[in-house]
Amino acid sequence: MGQGIFKQKNGLYAVDVAAACGVLTPEQLTGLARLAAENNAFRVKMTTRQTMVVLLPPENTAAFKEALETLKLRVAPFGNVVRPVKACAGNTALCPRSLDDALELGIEIQERYLGRPVPKDFKIAVAGCPRGCTDPHCADFGVIAAGQGRFHVAVGGMGGGTRPRHGEIVARDIPRDKVFALLEYVLERFCALAEPREKLGRAIERLGLAAFRPPAEMTAAEAAPAADEEFIRFLQD
Amino acid sequence: MENVRSVGEVNLAAMDAQMEKFCLNCDFRDTPDCREAACLTGFARKVLKFAASRGILDIPGAAKLLPDQDFKPYYPEMIAAGLAETCRQCRECRDNHSPDCVISLVRRSLENMILTENIDYPGSVFAYLAAVKEKNPDLAAMLAKQLKSR
Repeated sequence: MGQGIFKQKNGLYAVDVAAACGVLTPEQLTGLARLAAENNAFRVKMTTRQTMVVLLPPENTAAFKEALETLKLRVAPFGNVVRPVKACAGNTALCPRSLDDALELGIEIQERYLGRPVPKDFKIAVAGCPRGCTDPHCADFGVIAAGQGRFHVAVGGMGGGTRPRHGEIVARDIPRDKVFALLEYVLERFCALAEPREKLGRAIERLGLAAFRPPAEMTAAEAAPAADEEFIRFLQD
Repeated sequence: MENVRSVGEVNLAAMDAQMEKFCLNCDFRDTPDCREAACLTGFARKVLKFAASRGILDIPGAAKLLPDQDFKPYYPEMIAAGLAETCRQCRECRDNHSPDCVISLVRRSLENMILTENIDYPGSVFAYLAAVKEKNPDLAAMLAKQLKSR
């Protein structure tokens, strides 16, 4: 598995630092700032994958990388692996528009799958509502909260490249635990069917979505309650 | 037209202030016949209170609970004022508009007081005004006047 450390045009090294879907504690942030300063970092740049790139002189990268572990941060894996997960600030405490705990789900997915080898880089995005601030339709595996513990899943999206494509919905209104089962299934099919260095979306175009579509029991929708039960009680009080 | 949207967080209290005016003019106010769950005003105010207490802007499934048997007469001018406030608070989510958004729930409650059918909200205030004009030109004129008044 490769690591996100890249030589830049100016001779500095970009070290890609991954946190829990982009969430840092104040201690981690101040610790990272201290580490960056101690290692003569030139700049720190936010990335589109909710990681941070720290630009360092080559002689400082090893010390910086080692010290990251004390902050419970890590260098993001790179190459043909599951990449850092993007998740929105959707949970019970943050975004008022969120319909479910997208952030916690994204963090758990990242903890379980980050760095897992695959034929070509595999990007995951989790959104707390259909507004989709994390662009779930542009990810290899996109999860969209539908409310009341249910999620939609799109597969095969890719936002970059010369021929970007939107993912296709393969499951609607599935419960949280089935999101993991479905991800496991898609990853297995991807590893089994894709050619080396072939994106999931391209493999779907070549073989058809049916080859990657999970079995019906994995995508069976969970019936939605008529409405938020707490609100019903509040309304009738 | 002025910028009709508020800056920053959605002002739930501003919408409730408009809805409260209906209560102040209601014959059922403070009587045993006041049943909020069956009243368009009561429903809208409950939605706003619930959203404020939970810090949320969407209530999944709430659109299905809109009262459909409230045939009380309502003053169009007050409805226009209430609709104007929903327009000010609307974030113009466009394609991402949710019918269970609290602003949408208040707007639909107000529409149901006067229109025979709901307007399929287009997700933008400008397009909404055009749609209201098609259904009820007088209401659209009052709404435009309200929006210009601030």
